[in-house]
Amino acid sequence: MITCTALRWGAPGQPLTPPVDFNLEKGSLTGVIGANGTGKSSLLKVIAGLQRPLAGKVSVEAPRRGGLAFLPQQQHLDRQFPISLQELVAAGFWGVQLSPQRRSQRLQAVLADWCLSGLEQRPLMALSGGQLQRALLARMSLTESPVLLLDEPHAALDEEGQALCWKHIHAWHASGRTLVVVCHDLASVRHHTQNVLQIKSTGCLLGPSKELIRPQPQMQVA
Amino acid sequence: MHFAAHLWMPFLDFVFMRRALIGGLVLACSTAPLGVFLILRRMSLIGDAVAHGILPGAALGFWFAGLSLPALTLGGLGAGLGMAGLSAWITRRTGLREDASLAAIYPISLAAGVLILGIAGKRLDLLHLLFGSALAVDETTLTGMLWVSGFSLIAMALIYKPLLLDTLDPLFLQTVSRLGPLAHGLFLTLVVLNLVIGFQAIGALMVVGLMMLPAIASRFWSRRLPVLIAVSAVLGCLSVWLGLLLSFYYSLPSGPAIVLVAGAGYLLSVVFGPVHGLLRRPPLLSSQ
Repeated sequence: MITCTALRWGAPGQPLTPPVDFNLEKGSLTGVIGANGTGKSSLLKVIAGLQRPLAGKVSVEAPRRGGLAFLPQQQHLDRQFPISLQELVAAGFWGVQLSPQRRSQRLQAVLADWCLSGLEQRPLMALSGGQLQRALLARMSLTESPVLLLDEPHAALDEEGQALCWKHIHAWHASGRTLVVVCHDLASVRHHTQNVLQIKSTGCLLGPSKELIRPQPQMQVA
Repeated sequence: MHFAAHLWMPFLDFVFMRRALIGGLVLACSTAPLGVFLILRRMSLIGDAVAHGILPGAALGFWFAGLSLPALTLGGLGAGLGMAGLSAWITRRTGLREDASLAAIYPISLAAGVLILGIAGKRLDLLHLLFGSALAVDETTLTGMLWVSGFSLIAMALIYKPLLLDTLDPLFLQTVSRLGPLAHGLFLTLVVLNLVIGFQAIGALMVVGLMMLPAIASRFWSRRLPVLIAVSAVLGCLSVWLGLLLSFYYSLPSGPAIVLVAGAGYLLSVVFGPVHGLLRRPPLLSSQ
């Protein structure tokens, strides 16, 4: 589904890793781990086609438009932007053909799914970080993209929110979508994902998460 | 009754006042959404840069073709877009901060314009180019303004949704659509077009005031984008109307009068506006 060949990415002249090759299968759920600055976020952007690779190739077997949904880290959003939560979430309907009535039902359902009912008319500046994050995830739920790229979806979410987020990730996975999730919480990644892509400055490792990530108690000692 | 008559009389009695009013009102309506989006896109300064950028182009147009509307418009449009494009290109290629890049454009444009006007023999008054005179709007200019305003409003309605998303969350828009750069380019063209047509009516620098002041003031009145645009249009129209009246009754230059009324509207909004205005303390973050 997502194939990277001799891929190098990063700032011009400063590739983050040696050329890497990997292939993420259709319908797989892959966690991306690595220390700060190893290039997890930029890798997602390169896969999403939002940033050019320095060398090599990325090919994604999905329609060019709407085939891929990307959840960026939320700090790039202007919190003073004068729209309401509902308008932000409804942007997920872009390119989706639905009657106005179905649209409204679907929107209400998604807002309820993400525990956002009652906040529809809140302006962005009056939302907490966690509410905004759930709104962005709700927007993603409305897209029908077969490939979902999530950059730290659990950031700013409380324990309940994180559980909700993993629940939806599993539901998306079960519906046959291909997911790539950047996450710093190794225990969760180990528990929730099949495969993990570990990025280091020396290269990338792709393998079963149970093998690549040691059980949590040992991690804490180390 | 008598007082109310004073508010309308000049526009009923004098053709030049009527033209100035109509031209100003349509300009205020079409610049309102542009100004609001410029602020949201953190591009408030680009209006100034373009307004200065128009100057050398208009001066060149004047040099070659004399005081003709198409020559001034084409020259201004080319130079304005060129200056905005040059500054954007430098920022993208070198990473120079956008505001610094724009700030570098002002003096270059202004000096080039003054120089060209000097060579052309100073038959065109620099002050007129910069500050204009709404009272000198003739039939041709007014027709041009109506066309530009109509076109702007329709175009803005068409690109509203992609432009909104491109402003709020360009990464998201890029993944679902390729309209982002198109919307951005068309938006910038509309900004330059309005500034060029406006500079012939109330002057290059004044039209920036009419575009930005009501838009900035509207931020103190609402948190909803459509309301912001509407408030901005109403404030702009009020400024044109009151400014023209002041200019008529007190023999003031019309451009500065309009902009100063808009400025007063801005200051009043800062103080009395319900959204984070000075009299609204503490800032309400959780109001509906």
